[in-house]
Amino acid sequence: MKKQFIFLLFTAIWLSLFTACKNESGFKTLIITGQNNHNWKASSPVLKQILDETGLFKAEIMITPDKGGDMNTFNPDFSKYKLVVLDYNGDSWSPKTNAAFVQYVSDGGGVVIYHAADNSFPEWKEYNEIIGLGGWGNRSEKDGPYVYYKNNTLVIDTTAGIGGSHGRRREFVVTNRITDHPITKGLPVYWFHATDELYSQLRGPAKNIQILATAFADSAAGGGTMRSEPMLMTITYGKGRIFHTAMGHADEGGGPAMQCAGFITTLQRGAEWAVTGNVTQPVPSDFPSAAGVVLRPDFKEITLEEALAKVGNYNIPKSTKYISCIQSHIRKLSGDEAGLLNLEKELNKILKSADASVESKKLLLRELSWMGTDYSVSEIKELTLNAELKDEAEFALSRLK
Amino acid sequence: MANKTSRREFVKKSAAVLAGAIVLPQIIPSSAFGMGKRIAPSDRIAMGAIGTGSQGMSNMGDFLGLKNAVQFVAVCDVDTRHLSKAKETVDNSYKNKDCRTYGDYREFLEKEKVDAVSIALPDHWHGIIYSAAANKKLNVYGEKPICRTIKDGQTIVEAVKKNNIIWQTGSWQRSLYNFRRGAELAINGRVGKLNYIEVGLPDGNKGIGTPPVQPVPVGLNWEMWLGPALKVPYRGVSHWDWRWILDYSGGQLTDWAGHHIDIANWGAGLEHTGPVEISGTGVYPVEGIFNVPVEYDFICKYANGIEMRVANAARLPLGMGTTWHGDLGWIHVDRGDVLTASDPKILNEVIGENEIQLYKSENHWQNFVDCVRSGKQAIAPVEVAFRAISVGLLGEIAMTTGQTIKWDPDKQEIIGNPRASRLLSRPYRQPWTLPTI
Repeated sequence: MKKQFIFLLFTAIWLSLFTACKNESGFKTLIITGQNNHNWKASSPVLKQILDETGLFKAEIMITPDKGGDMNTFNPDFSKYKLVVLDYNGDSWSPKTNAAFVQYVSDGGGVVIYHAADNSFPEWKEYNEIIGLGGWGNRSEKDGPYVYYKNNTLVIDTTAGIGGSHGRRREFVVTNRITDHPITKGLPVYWFHATDELYSQLRGPAKNIQILATAFADSAAGGGTMRSEPMLMTITYGKGRIFHTAMGHADEGGGPAMQCAGFITTLQRGAEWAVTGNVTQPVPSDFPSAAGVVLRPDFKEITLEEALAKVGNYNIPKSTKYISCIQSHIRKLSGDEAGLLNLEKELNKILKSADASVESKKLLLRELSWMGTDYSVSEIKELTLNAELKDEAEFALSRLK
Repeated sequence: MANKTSRREFVKKSAAVLAGAIVLPQIIPSSAFGMGKRIAPSDRIAMGAIGTGSQGMSNMGDFLGLKNAVQFVAVCDVDTRHLSKAKETVDNSYKNKDCRTYGDYREFLEKEKVDAVSIALPDHWHGIIYSAAANKKLNVYGEKPICRTIKDGQTIVEAVKKNNIIWQTGSWQRSLYNFRRGAELAINGRVGKLNYIEVGLPDGNKGIGTPPVQPVPVGLNWEMWLGPALKVPYRGVSHWDWRWILDYSGGQLTDWAGHHIDIANWGAGLEHTGPVEISGTGVYPVEGIFNVPVEYDFICKYANGIEMRVANAARLPLGMGTTWHGDLGWIHVDRGDVLTASDPKILNEVIGENEIQLYKSENHWQNFVDCVRSGKQAIAPVEVAFRAISVGLLGEIAMTTGQTIKWDPDKQEIIGNPRASRLLSRPYRQPWTLPTI
């Protein structure tokens, strides 16, 4: 009896320690950068911010020696990390470090391959199996097939030719091909990605790979292959899980490709999957759709509090993202009467506010017309006396009665 | 002859007709002859068109293409650019200048004594104008979806029934072989007992953000275009892009409900009922004035155990179209003469004399004309159209609220959900109201 109790106590302490460790510090994550034909000084802090933002990861950035430097000094202890994010395209690492990385992945370590990291190490066999598909660095048919979708069918194409190309940077539609994978589940099938390089003609071993999402490389924008090229991939290597995103070309401060809410969300979900094999993060209210690009200039999802604070500034043609966020929260609160009433009270405050724009009040009256209660009626009645809001107020009252 | 008949001659000839002489073909409404309600097969049907944008003109072309069936005498539109194009089309067709024009449907309905009217308007106008035309005892060829809200639809159905007019919905897929054949096989159990239906409708399209407020084009009566909808400044969305704004439409979902959901109901014997439970999710644009769901995916459960999944095409294995699944296989139909089955032998099955024979029409517009003459029900009657769009509208409500909606298909009421019930109607901007029936 006593033994059992002690065992339970220890289990409880151990569990709470484990939980605390995860909650306070998150999954220890190593972002490796330092050489890249891309602006790694811009991208790596953004990657860290995007991952830390979830509360799931605690990321640190490790910078390799410069090009031509002594790679023997680069010896990360991979075993300390749950996730390794590669933002690196440069000199070969030391054989020892290579071996340690392969061991880390084989043993079940999570990996995120980000954009030009799939250009790196063309000669390193295991690395190419880990990334699944790569480009440039004299990659050709010797490195493996092209993999893409054509006419909605997955094609493994062994044709001879270069590996890696892209047209002019532009916005493009990403199509989620596997929609029941933890990373893509609940996301739109089609979503607009902000201006980016559309990586094409990637080729590689393509072992144990799943193409989660593609983008059509049309010819109009130059360099197009007329194929739907892989954008999001998962690979397994040994016990390790790898999430590979071909997107996210960085400009100073990140730029549109990294600010894209779709890029950010899929990176966050892909990183979690690489660590745990699952995704617990809810789909954000601002995930883009076929309708158009959604940018997060500060890389953060809008919170309801922020939306309520800023929706009063709404004035066409300013962004509609705050009202969209509020609508999304109304849907999420369905069935939660107390939560809906709280939100209704907040919306009423905006209706009363002298600072809130007429446009924003019009939009809120439409929402209150169906989700409101008696709580809103008296305030809305007063607005029928306001010439600018009369129609919308009557619209709302007519439904609320 | 008639195509050269001027107004003055018409009056003269009318007198002759009344005296018993036979002057054919005629372009005047049957009522003018005191012949009773129906029109002789040899007479042309006097017709008007309300709404002469792209779909209105397309329907006009289909009617004009029927040999000596109808004679358009008047057209009505809130945009004089559309109106003059419509008049030109009609006048060119008859080689005269007789087609009368109206900018206000009320004046049209007051002055024009036609037999039938072809109506193609943005959805937010359907409730008022379909009901008003029915109340004037005009036979109506009306575009789908027949209503923007359940309330509008109930009013239209009531008006059509009470006035005993011939109604044809623009759900023209019913008049194509592959859709009827697929539905007939399904309803006669050729894939066994039906248990699941998939309906794939178009994926959403790119938005246009928030276009700037701009001058209303010369000729467009923007106030009248808005009508019962809330007043908003003009942003160039009157003639096509209104489809992506909830004030006027439910997007691809409600646009296409009148086609593939209608066909699904036809083949499953669900034409006169509705689901009892609806739940699902939509994907909404984050930025811009377009606010209809660009992706949608919902399940409708029926009292007889059938489930119907309605989704944008990309989410379904067979994409666009209707697929009836039974315990013995499936049948799939879509545009482009698509008619496929789990086993091709199913498609060779003969439907026996004692089995269900679905209504057969080979030309949707001809069917309307024939029914106006004969007094028989057309292939796409109003209540059936209402049941099809109801599925889309209830799906819209489930997605808007994020809730599972319980629906009483007999009473046509949402059960136990006051919030969702409010979405069954859209209040009209004064002074507009739904006509009382």
